[in-house]
Amino acid sequence: MREELQALKEQALAELGAVTTPDELKDLRIKYLGKKGPMTEILRGMGALPAEERPKIGQIVNEVKSALETAINAKTEVLEAESLKARLANEKVDITLPGRTQNCGHLHPVTLTLREIKKIFMRMGFDVMEGPEIESDYYNFEALNLPQDHPARDMQDTFYITEKFLLRTQTSPVQARTMQACEPDTPIRMIAPGTVYRNDYDATHSPMFHQVEGLVLGENISLADLKGTLETFCKEMFGGSVEIRLRPSYFPFTEPSAEVDISCVICGGKGCRVCKNSGWLEILGSGMVHPNVLRMSGYDPDKINGYAFGMGVERIAMLKYGIDDLRLFFENDLRFIRQFK
Amino acid sequence: MLASIDWLKKYVDINVTPEELAEKLTRVGLEVESVNYLGAGLEGVVTGKVTQIERHPNSDHLWICMMDYGSGEIVQILTGAQNVHQNDIVPVAVVGSQLPSGMKLKKAKMRGLDSFGMLCSAEELGIDAKLLLPEQRNGIFILPPDTPIGVDIKKILGLDDVVLDIDLTANRGDCTNIIGLAREAAAVLGTEFRMPDMSVQETAGGNAAEMAKVDVQAADLCSRFAVRILKNIKIGQSPEWMQKHLRACGMRPISNVVDVTNYVMLELGQPMHAYDYDRVSGHTLIVRRAAEGEKLVTLDNQERSLDSSMITIADTEHAVGLGGVMGGLETEVTVDTVNVMLEAATFNGPSIRRTSKALGLRSEASGRFERGVDTVLTHNALNRAAHLLEQMGACETVCGIVEAYPTEAQPAVVKVNPSAINTRIGVEIETGEMISILQKLQFEVHEEGEDLIVTAPSWRYDVTCDADISEEIARMHSYDKIASHMPALPLVQGRQDVIEDVRDSVEDYLASVGLSEVMTYSFIHPCSFDKLELPADDERRRFIEVMNPISDEFKVMRTTLVPSILSTVAYNLARQSESVKIFEVGRTYLPKALPLTEFPVEKRVLCAAMSGKRNVLNWTEGKDNVDFYDMKGVVEGLLSKLQVTDYKLILATQPYLHPGKSCAIEYQGELIGYFGEVHPTVAANFELSSETYVLELAIEPLVAAAVKVPKYKHLPKFPGTSRDIAVVVPLEVSMRELEGVIRANAGELLADVKVFDVYTGKQVAGGCKSMAFNLTFQAGDRTLTDTEIDTVIKNVVDKVGEEYKAKLRA
Repeated sequence: MREELQALKEQALAELGAVTTPDELKDLRIKYLGKKGPMTEILRGMGALPAEERPKIGQIVNEVKSALETAINAKTEVLEAESLKARLANEKVDITLPGRTQNCGHLHPVTLTLREIKKIFMRMGFDVMEGPEIESDYYNFEALNLPQDHPARDMQDTFYITEKFLLRTQTSPVQARTMQACEPDTPIRMIAPGTVYRNDYDATHSPMFHQVEGLVLGENISLADLKGTLETFCKEMFGGSVEIRLRPSYFPFTEPSAEVDISCVICGGKGCRVCKNSGWLEILGSGMVHPNVLRMSGYDPDKINGYAFGMGVERIAMLKYGIDDLRLFFENDLRFIRQFK
Repeated sequence: MLASIDWLKKYVDINVTPEELAEKLTRVGLEVESVNYLGAGLEGVVTGKVTQIERHPNSDHLWICMMDYGSGEIVQILTGAQNVHQNDIVPVAVVGSQLPSGMKLKKAKMRGLDSFGMLCSAEELGIDAKLLLPEQRNGIFILPPDTPIGVDIKKILGLDDVVLDIDLTANRGDCTNIIGLAREAAAVLGTEFRMPDMSVQETAGGNAAEMAKVDVQAADLCSRFAVRILKNIKIGQSPEWMQKHLRACGMRPISNVVDVTNYVMLELGQPMHAYDYDRVSGHTLIVRRAAEGEKLVTLDNQERSLDSSMITIADTEHAVGLGGVMGGLETEVTVDTVNVMLEAATFNGPSIRRTSKALGLRSEASGRFERGVDTVLTHNALNRAAHLLEQMGACETVCGIVEAYPTEAQPAVVKVNPSAINTRIGVEIETGEMISILQKLQFEVHEEGEDLIVTAPSWRYDVTCDADISEEIARMHSYDKIASHMPALPLVQGRQDVIEDVRDSVEDYLASVGLSEVMTYSFIHPCSFDKLELPADDERRRFIEVMNPISDEFKVMRTTLVPSILSTVAYNLARQSESVKIFEVGRTYLPKALPLTEFPVEKRVLCAAMSGKRNVLNWTEGKDNVDFYDMKGVVEGLLSKLQVTDYKLILATQPYLHPGKSCAIEYQGELIGYFGEVHPTVAANFELSSETYVLELAIEPLVAAAVKVPKYKHLPKFPGTSRDIAVVVPLEVSMRELEGVIRANAGELLADVKVFDVYTGKQVAGGCKSMAFNLTFQAGDRTLTDTEIDTVIKNVVDKVGEEYKAKLRA
């Protein structure tokens, strides 16, 4: 009987070796291990054996059974792996077809630039203030040391609504509004972003554009502090290698006044068409707040002083993104707007 | 301001290149915009004399000129110009020379004859025709007969000069002239500064005070008025050296008297005017306010109507000039003039500014008065002008100056504290250095204890306070020497108003669902309201208007963003954009009263539009156009993002929307926005080539909800069960109505109702639609059984059936 079992095992293993499909494997399993298979038959015939032989034969039967099961299971895994491999080999996508994208919209480059400017200054502790676009002559000019008939009013061609009301030509009136809303001599650190208007329309001027005004008031604030703040801003905005320089200038609401230039972001200061070969680009106006401006808004220039600055957002966006035509900002061609991420 | 370096050099030693000078001036606040080499590109052109001239035998317009230009030989040059005569001295472009146009002269053959060069016109030499006498503009430039020959033309015509174009700031009225710039240059370069020769011979003798009178009746408008009398005027051309400098600084030479007044203005900064003495009635000049409606014919032959704010110069009979703006035609100096009254006055800047603006007459003189003119200059200018005319032999000067100077101007005296100045600038400059800087700029300085008492020179009337002195010191010390420093301020977090945060969220949400942001002008065309088909009494037609718009297109401050957004859609559709989805968050400007007497309301509004394809062309996506529900989805998504939940969409529409495909958004009892399809008529008005959906929504009412912090709700412990039902109802039954009936009859276990299919067609009867709902049931304390749900569903179906005679669809 032992020999019989051994032969059975060898025969089964030999047949297993020839199996190539899961169906054949199933048949094989039934043939040898099924209820009508030879193993069952042998076990059934054990009753005829002497009592002492039974456990020995029983053990051998179990050994053979278990060896066959192990071999069949191993074969199952092999066949499954082969069949998966075959399936995968048949399943292929065209990876060059475009995907199902959610097509995002795009923010306007002026918004992106404004947000970046605000972020940089807010990190330095500046509050963001807003003011009306239809402004009074008083806030837009007089409170900024620009009385009626001051020649510097020519620097800004103004759209008037009435004698008294106008479209603000600058975001600077928010300076006076903020000061007047505070207790006298309260320290201030703020920026005022917004839309401004000038009666000027050609290839390099838009009747509407955006500015960001800045104002810092406190004790013992100096032109050196102004330089430090704006240097930090410019490096954050245009990269750490950018340098700034101050040039004396004139604004009625600051004294001393300075134009701020940055080293050309296009050529790195070597000289190119954009910087007219000077290596420098003018990007903002600034200065120490004029004592008259402080006085008119209830501040004592002997106790409190500070600096103010103003920058054109479109100008900064043009330099940042390499945009060469101001008019693109307000034409709203989607082919333009979609370029900004 | 154009400044000739050649002219500057008469009064200051310049030991640097023009570029270096430009850089140095720029760095002290006189911004040099460009350095212009007048003769750029002009090489080798010399003066030559026409020794002989005859017609070309084979041409009816060419001439053969035999030219002597100092080379030792006579050279044949052909010309087509008709104004050349024997013995004329003209510019000769010899073979090998070069013109500003880039042309290089070569030997040429014209109708069989050789030409060894070219005779030049002013234009060919690169001279602006506007700066030339009329007779110099056409044909060959004929030079004065005493011009030496064989000399570089650049030297003769001042084209070897370099001109700085300076963008003067409004405060530096003292630098609108050569002397002012020479003073600054001397301070910057540390070189010597000289004043021009202002000595007068007064050979005519006599006493001016007996020959003329001046009277200032409007002392508030004229602080000084002075006159000199010049006799036996010989009107002619001014010398070439003067013409050269005038041209370099952008002024056209006219005649000696006019040129001298202009020359002195450019040199000293004092505008002047010359009157024909014998035509001034009573030989008296009166400075007064014009009478209302008083008439004056100005030098440009225009009759002007004056008003009482304008400064008028009158003789004993009537107005003869507009002080500081333009002279009168009647007393103009002409070729027949024998005696001249020369005026130099200090007029009130703001008045001149108003007058020149009102009359549209901005001149070199008015521009200088607007910035302010030093009172001390009147005498200097009269003397310098008399000196120059005497030097030309063009006049004899009468003794003395007649003047009215009611109140003598006082120089500004400012007390400053050096340590306060250092604090303001953020530097450590020694007091001694401060004094030296101020003295270089001709300020007088006295020390008084720790303070400095500074007296500004008469021409620095812009300096009035210590801040001005600190700027003088900072700019001369150099802004480059100021080290960067961060202000010592408390560490705080910058903040913006919550409405700005909400605006940012709105922008971000809309961009995330595929809309791109645009920026349109705040002013619109008045016809925009007609294009929107707004009725005549619509509130939005109460708009604020710009008084001086660029054009009608930029005239009205918008009361709605819709016209701008629709125009932008049309603009992009016209540029073959297949899918236009845009938005803008902007302001509308709503007057409280018209005309404006108080600040208007500036309201933040979102406007969005969608048109064209729903999706960018893609193989996985449908190719449908956007519809009402795309816009509705944007609105619902946005409001959900902003945590605005208890709003209602109601049937209220706008004239510019399709009445059946639009609605209003009601929130907290207020209509805060509208959306829907653009009315076909309006779409046609805006030339929209595709169905367009538009939304207008106020931002402010959403802020309170948007800033709420969401509160966490526990997740359900027991599984929910869902069932689908489909009911067939008449077409006019709305989803909301049906949902209401379902909710009302489904009891507390109903957690959610979603509509997942709406069908009209063959499977349902005409006039009906099938709506399929997915109902989710949920209990907080147990798992629901099928029996429980079946009961609820049966109840719902029965009630819906009763309400609408609806059938449950299989």
